[in-house]
Amino acid sequence: MRAFEYASPTTKEQAAALLGDKWDDIGILAGGTDLLSLMKDDISKPRRLVDIKGIKEMQGIRHAPATGLRIGALVTLQELLEHAAVKKEYPALAQAATGVASMQLRNAGTVGGDLCQRPRCWYFRNGNGLLAQDSSGKSLVVDGENKYHAILGNSGPAYFVNPSSLAPALIALGARIKVYGPKGSREVALEQFFTTPQKDGEREYLLKPNEIITEITVPAASGVRSATYAVHEREALDWPLAAASVALKMSGTKITSARVVLGQVAPIPWAAAEADKLLAGKVVSEQVAKDAGAAAVTGARALSQNAYKIQLAKVAVKRAILQASEGRA
Amino acid sequence: MGLSIHTWGGRGHQSENRTTIYPDGSVSCELGSQDLGTGTRTVIAIVAAETLGLPVEGITVKIGDSKYPKSGGSGGSTTVGGVSASTRRASVDALSLLFQKVAPALGADPANLEAVGGRIQVKGDPGKSLTWKQACAKLGVTPVVATGKCIGGRDELTNQGVGGVQMAEVTVDVETGVVKVDKIVAVQDMGLVIDMTTAESQITGAITMGISYALFELKIMDEHLGRMMNPNMEFYKLAGIGDIPPIDVYIVTGSKQDDRGVIGLGEPPVISPGAAIANAVTNAIGVRVPSLPLTPDRILAALEKKGGLS
Repeated sequence: MRAFEYASPTTKEQAAALLGDKWDDIGILAGGTDLLSLMKDDISKPRRLVDIKGIKEMQGIRHAPATGLRIGALVTLQELLEHAAVKKEYPALAQAATGVASMQLRNAGTVGGDLCQRPRCWYFRNGNGLLAQDSSGKSLVVDGENKYHAILGNSGPAYFVNPSSLAPALIALGARIKVYGPKGSREVALEQFFTTPQKDGEREYLLKPNEIITEITVPAASGVRSATYAVHEREALDWPLAAASVALKMSGTKITSARVVLGQVAPIPWAAAEADKLLAGKVVSEQVAKDAGAAAVTGARALSQNAYKIQLAKVAVKRAILQASEGRA
Repeated sequence: MGLSIHTWGGRGHQSENRTTIYPDGSVSCELGSQDLGTGTRTVIAIVAAETLGLPVEGITVKIGDSKYPKSGGSGGSTTVGGVSASTRRASVDALSLLFQKVAPALGADPANLEAVGGRIQVKGDPGKSLTWKQACAKLGVTPVVATGKCIGGRDELTNQGVGGVQMAEVTVDVETGVVKVDKIVAVQDMGLVIDMTTAESQITGAITMGISYALFELKIMDEHLGRMMNPNMEFYKLAGIGDIPPIDVYIVTGSKQDDRGVIGLGEPPVISPGAAIANAVTNAIGVRVPSLPLTPDRILAALEKKGGLS
């Protein structure tokens, strides 16, 4: 790891003033679970780290049944999954946080960090760049080792998958994200926050280098049943092979409206509108859940080694719907 | 359910042990051997302690340095057989040198002494005895040193040819291709067992790593870059504690096994897990998944080739 300056502001204003206008020149340190490994691998080479953990207003969870949930960006995954209202009202979110396998990561990793962590694509992590192209601009992924890569939104040039554990659940639940920068605060729907980079040097989200996420808000969830199901091939610390979060607005046994969002399958958390459409007005059954799984992967395209992920994504959607409708924790 | 059987050689390698009994009662065993985590130190200490009638903590084992007498490299499950034989002979010879120095004080023939429970005594007459410390004090200022060897090939204290059977019970999620091992039963012989806990632990460890290679371990090379894409513990996947089921170990014991001598157990129990687990998966889903590890993509591909379940 290279040497770096270290700053520990106590307000978001100080933090923003310490950031710069170039990515990777200055790094934002919260839980550090991703940033430090990027620095050790020499993928990220910041000359300064701005440690934001001391900013009090970015901590804590507030909940009011009428207005919903406000999650400080510095809330840890463990705090989130242990929060009584999150467990009760937003099971998809609690389950997504629980799925992050390892107490150490859950205790250190933050909600803001989960949303901003960089892709696990091994070409990116081996120093071949986020878009993993050779010197002639040809993708290394398409003819390479792609068993964990994207099956949706993969027409290029990005083939990595978004690694966020919480984003699918938060998007399904209608979350918004608040960021702070030199021009003050702005707020966007979390779904709009993630983007697919089109050229080298672009990020996979709309944050600017001198902005920080300050909080996430989630609307009230009364009458909403939600769940997250992630397919893990082992119990030990591992990334899901595919994951799905669903939020169902129910009237009795009937779904009035649905949001289905897939994780680990596309360069962005994948909002599966076809599945939402299919579910609206239906009574939940095994068959309906299965059909929604098939609809969720509309347009999926396998690379040379990842056709199995299409099946896993369908199953994740099916199981998340059944889990949500049964209200299983 | 799936089953696999295995066999292995395991004859001890050439080994030399220099055992020293000091006037203060301390004992050292020096061998140019090594402990890969399989219990070499423990085994040497147990053999020497039992021979000298001392507790295990009375023996200082010195290994891992080329200044010590030559002892073979650890490979082919040959270490325990080799170091046990050389240690046994060195301890027997060192003890008989000690008996010669001590015999006059006990008014006995050296050949008529025995070392039992931390004492040197006249055989069958515990009344005529010295504590180990008192006995060693008779050495004056000169330690006794003896060297014992295992000659490998025809050595009569070691042997070869172990056998084992392992059975695996698995659950396969046929929608996701995820395999979970529910239970493993392992039966193993290995001749004379030096230490039961260490032997059982070796088998448990072998099965743990066996589950890893059966389900997860895969070196991924990019053929264009010529680089390994997963040179880390993140994507070179190993089983974690949650992936390991109850493991029942049964070791064949008795005088027939003891008479064979000491045989290595390093590798034998890691041979079967892959086959037992793969056979169990075949038994569960009705189609052979032809290569390890049994990852979800391969399970689903095999099921699809077969045309689905049943």
